[in-house]
Amino acid sequence: MIVVEEVRNELFAGLRHAVGEAALRRESGREVSITVPVDRLADACAFVKGNLAAPLATMVGLDDREQAGVFRLVYVFSVDGKWVSVETEIDPARPRFPSATPRVPAAHWYEREVQDMLGLIPDGHPDPRRLVLHDDWPEGVYPLRKDFDPTVPVPRVDGPRHRFHHLHGEGIVEIPVGPIHAGVIEPGHFRFAAVGEVVLHLETRLFYTHRGIEKLAEGKRFDRVLQIAERVCGACSLSHAVAYCQAVEAIAGVVVPPRAAALRSFFLELERLYNHVGDLGNICAGVGFAVGTSQGGRLKEEIQRLNERLTGHRFLRGVCRVGGVRRDLDAVHLRDAAQTLQKVEAEFRRFVDLLLATDSLMDRMIGTGAVPFEAARDLGAVGVAARASGLDRDARRDHPYAGYDQLHINVPVRTEGDVRARAQVRMDESFASFALASEVLRSLPSGPLFTEVGDLPPYRIGIGVTESPRGENVHWVRTGPAGSIDRYRIRSASYCNWPIVALAVPGNMVPDFPLINKSFELCYSCLDR
Amino acid sequence: MNLTLLLANLVLALAVAPLLNGVIKKSKAGWQNRCGPGVLQPWFDIWKYLGRESVVSEHASWLFRLAPYVYFGAHLAAAGMVPMVLVGSPLAGMGDVIVLVGLLALARFALALAALDTASNFGGMGTSRELAFASLVEPALFLALFSLAIPVGSTALGALVGDGGVTVARLLALGVFFIVAVAETGRIPVDNPDTHLELTMAHEGMLLEYSGRPLGLLLWGTHIKQLVILSLLAALFFPWGIASDPSAASLAVGMLTYLAKLGLLGLALALVETTNVKMRIFRVPDLLGAASLLGLLAITSIYVVGG
Repeated sequence: MIVVEEVRNELFAGLRHAVGEAALRRESGREVSITVPVDRLADACAFVKGNLAAPLATMVGLDDREQAGVFRLVYVFSVDGKWVSVETEIDPARPRFPSATPRVPAAHWYEREVQDMLGLIPDGHPDPRRLVLHDDWPEGVYPLRKDFDPTVPVPRVDGPRHRFHHLHGEGIVEIPVGPIHAGVIEPGHFRFAAVGEVVLHLETRLFYTHRGIEKLAEGKRFDRVLQIAERVCGACSLSHAVAYCQAVEAIAGVVVPPRAAALRSFFLELERLYNHVGDLGNICAGVGFAVGTSQGGRLKEEIQRLNERLTGHRFLRGVCRVGGVRRDLDAVHLRDAAQTLQKVEAEFRRFVDLLLATDSLMDRMIGTGAVPFEAARDLGAVGVAARASGLDRDARRDHPYAGYDQLHINVPVRTEGDVRARAQVRMDESFASFALASEVLRSLPSGPLFTEVGDLPPYRIGIGVTESPRGENVHWVRTGPAGSIDRYRIRSASYCNWPIVALAVPGNMVPDFPLINKSFELCYSCLDR
Repeated sequence: MNLTLLLANLVLALAVAPLLNGVIKKSKAGWQNRCGPGVLQPWFDIWKYLGRESVVSEHASWLFRLAPYVYFGAHLAAAGMVPMVLVGSPLAGMGDVIVLVGLLALARFALALAALDTASNFGGMGTSRELAFASLVEPALFLALFSLAIPVGSTALGALVGDGGVTVARLLALGVFFIVAVAETGRIPVDNPDTHLELTMAHEGMLLEYSGRPLGLLLWGTHIKQLVILSLLAALFFPWGIASDPSAASLAVGMLTYLAKLGLLGLALALVETTNVKMRIFRVPDLLGAASLLGLLAITSIYVVGG
């Protein structure tokens, strides 16, 4: 706690200097919140990010016109395992705010999203085009404002076309790909500017299947919202569920019993394993190495079948509940899990040896799609992509949750930032996950599976974070009256890493794009909330 | 007699070509721990496409409609020329190996024009890659063929069918032919026939705009091309069992050995595809350049080592 105290004192002294006495503060437990006037917002964010070397964890826009007559923006930074929120209030009569993006580049997408969804305009944003909404959405309709009725269909309009950046010059060809692809994958539009086979610039247009999940959650009871949280995406369903549960538990002041915490960690590691193993196979698909693809798919299947035997669900849905877990492991399960994991680990080791020993595969991976450390840091890369570029961050260690404070977490970091580095981080993490999973199984505490959650206090904020297979997921929740959810902001790992993909591609060849893309293995669904 | 032989030859090519692809796919699947589709699947696919309507881009010209027939026809004609079961193939009198390579080039030319015709990006990318590869494959192929033609003093296909003897030139030419076979059949490490990733496609990229019956013809034509190349490889380097006269007994032996040789060559292609990763596109010229060099060495060896 002494560290936190120092951080706070330093923070406030610095902020007073940077922003003036106007900064208000509010502290509670692991969170510090500072309210600044809107014209000092960018200064305050730049101060927190710069002086405390704190990455931006999430940013939330709220429509508080009913209660307080204002819009609210909350920039949440991660400082030393704690959350520091910089808040500001925006007058609805003048819905503008100074963009923090020029000084905190990681804020770029959040501010564009707030502009689309709440109609708050970031002044001075270097790229103020639409992000979430597409050309056929009418101007002036903001889905996350409280007075937007999601049950009434919005008419499609023939709006102005999205302005892509064009490169001009002799021999420059523009290659538009998608949003509909030849394979069965989710929609995304990629526009390459290339000279011959070399890519000069890549622009992405995503968010094609926005589902309005955050809007859907508003006004629903907190336990119903869990079912929605689990369905944000298939591949890291449990990570989303646990992050949401942690946010609500923080508001309710509920502590998860030790057995439930350990089981959460165990299932989260199973989720990481089936993803990492399958993703390594998918990387092979990017270069036509079918043996690797099918072996990766086979091992992933083994783990998913284990998931089904242990929990009744291949994607681990329904495992988590607010206050604990729903599923227990009996002696038969424990033996099955230990045996299966041991067998899969041995086969996975052979699979990894095969990949590393295939020279033609390594030739394609080494040096391809390199992301420099500075780019990863400034744009706020998370997960495997961050750790492959020398950015040492892992929410399991930095913001311990579930049973991770009791476990030995080994965070592999590489510095090359290329496709092979991302593949090897996945390999090393998988071995670490096998070890973590068996560590949990050996030392599973006994006790109840959940703590009963009573009534939630209204208008309180909770933040939950998990390290999903793709990186940290941050769920920001504010309660409403009578145990309902008033605002739910889901910031997935893919949200942070998609802009990095566009940076990794230029300088590489056009046919290397699938390989680079698969080495990030990002989720479209996590964006289309 | 000759007409009967020609018909029999064409029917054989039309029937066996998809089957050969099925065998390659099945063996690849086996090596990859999969069941894979049955060996008759390429047949079912072609049958399905031939019965379907074709959607043609409104920007496409007559070239786009004509190309599949040229592509299919050129490969079928090549199949009539190449010695399969019998040394004297029915169309052998119509031309020599140079005509054969020319027919393959004609098919490629037609498809390239059609792929450019719709101005689709993938068509353009696929064409530029396919033609870049072809410009390196064809010289290598010619060098290898000449290294076989110089000792016998003829470029006629029947004359080139070897006696199974091993010379330095033949060994080197075999190396060239194998690389050419991998490249011309669009297989890993040069191209990937099984990919759905548009950005990596060469040959497949040229077919993306096609659907229905023209697509069926193009697939069938591609299978026949594969058959032509493997048949040529078999006849020139592994001539054992090939019928030298059209008597029933020698035809039967020729047929059996021909199918066995095709199967083995198919397995070899599948093995290369299973154990390799598609190479960086800029390294393909290295591989094909090596093939040309081998071809040059083969010709040189004739004069240095002696036929």
